[in-house]
Amino acid sequence: MNNSLRQKLEATFKDIQVSIPEDSKITITAESDSVPAILRFLKDAGFDHLALLSAVDWIEDDCFELCFILTSYMQNDDEVTGRQRLHIILKTRIPREKPQFKTVIGIFPNAEPYEREIHELFGINFEGHPRLTPLLLEREYEIPPFRKDFDTRKYVKDLFDNIPFVEIEEK
Amino acid sequence: MDRNQITKWLKAPAKMANKYSLHAIYFCTGCGIIEIPPVITSRWDAERFGVIPVATPRQANLFLITGYVSVKTLRAIIRTYEQMPEPKYTVGFGSCPINGGMYWDSYNTIKHLDKYIPIDGWIAGCMPRPEAIFIAVTHLWTLIDKDMANGYIRYRENYKSYRRNQELALGKLEWPPLFPVSNESQGNVQ
Repeated sequence: MNNSLRQKLEATFKDIQVSIPEDSKITITAESDSVPAILRFLKDAGFDHLALLSAVDWIEDDCFELCFILTSYMQNDDEVTGRQRLHIILKTRIPREKPQFKTVIGIFPNAEPYEREIHELFGINFEGHPRLTPLLLEREYEIPPFRKDFDTRKYVKDLFDNIPFVEIEEK
Repeated sequence: MDRNQITKWLKAPAKMANKYSLHAIYFCTGCGIIEIPPVITSRWDAERFGVIPVATPRQANLFLITGYVSVKTLRAIIRTYEQMPEPKYTVGFGSCPINGGMYWDSYNTIKHLDKYIPIDGWIAGCMPRPEAIFIAVTHLWTLIDKDMANGYIRYRENYKSYRRNQELALGKLEWPPLFPVSNESQGNVQ
């Protein structure tokens, strides 16, 4: 199944690299423009569950990497042989100066909270997302806190360490 | 009832009643809450010590902070603490409320919880065993006996400082002060 899917993918899409690091995993690296088409193709091929959408900050390469993990509801882990169900890992890179990406809610509706989270923690803007409002954080940050150039120790020093202990008045 | 304590009961019955009926608010923060179900159920049975969980802060007088406190949780903790009737006792559970623990450089975790609400006792460890909760409860009994578990009195007397720290961490608070913070604003308190 792995190899037939790989051939199908490589025949349908140009400019993608497909590799099979393990038996139950397929990694696809693609350009950001072709991601919605690949997702739609994979959904039609039976991978109907977006298990995770996350982001990585590659500050040395000056880009963010979005990582979609897809799997299928209809497959199960094989208990006899111990083989896991097939996971597809789709990676794409977007530039750090202009972190823009098109929302994939139209294809996988459950991407909505993931995109809100990434917008909040990495500052990546998802075009077409209905509500990019704060989800987890309580205050505004100058740099989104999951970016690598966010200095947590300086932030802790400036905010939490500057709050004084309560001095108890002795009677 | 222990016959040795009968003089204590006659001297300060209210204090003894508080001491042996600690109602812990069922408030979950962080990972420490995973220790609470075995503590209150049959394996360790906290009711031997008079500790039972209750659902609302209005019925509680013991507040267990069971793990790291994020900035958003701090808001809920303050609101819960202020709703509890006096006398009330707070116990920080695990190393994270003490000084941040393994989240000492996290952008969103409160480092010293006693800057924001008064704490009567700490249980160190990551995680503390359920037995540590009972040791803490017996220590709390001693403190109540000696009038040293006075966190709620400290809160009342130093409310201005606590409120200032809460506002530094959380920005503007949307609820009015529990106690008057200054003479001018006394008339505005609702």
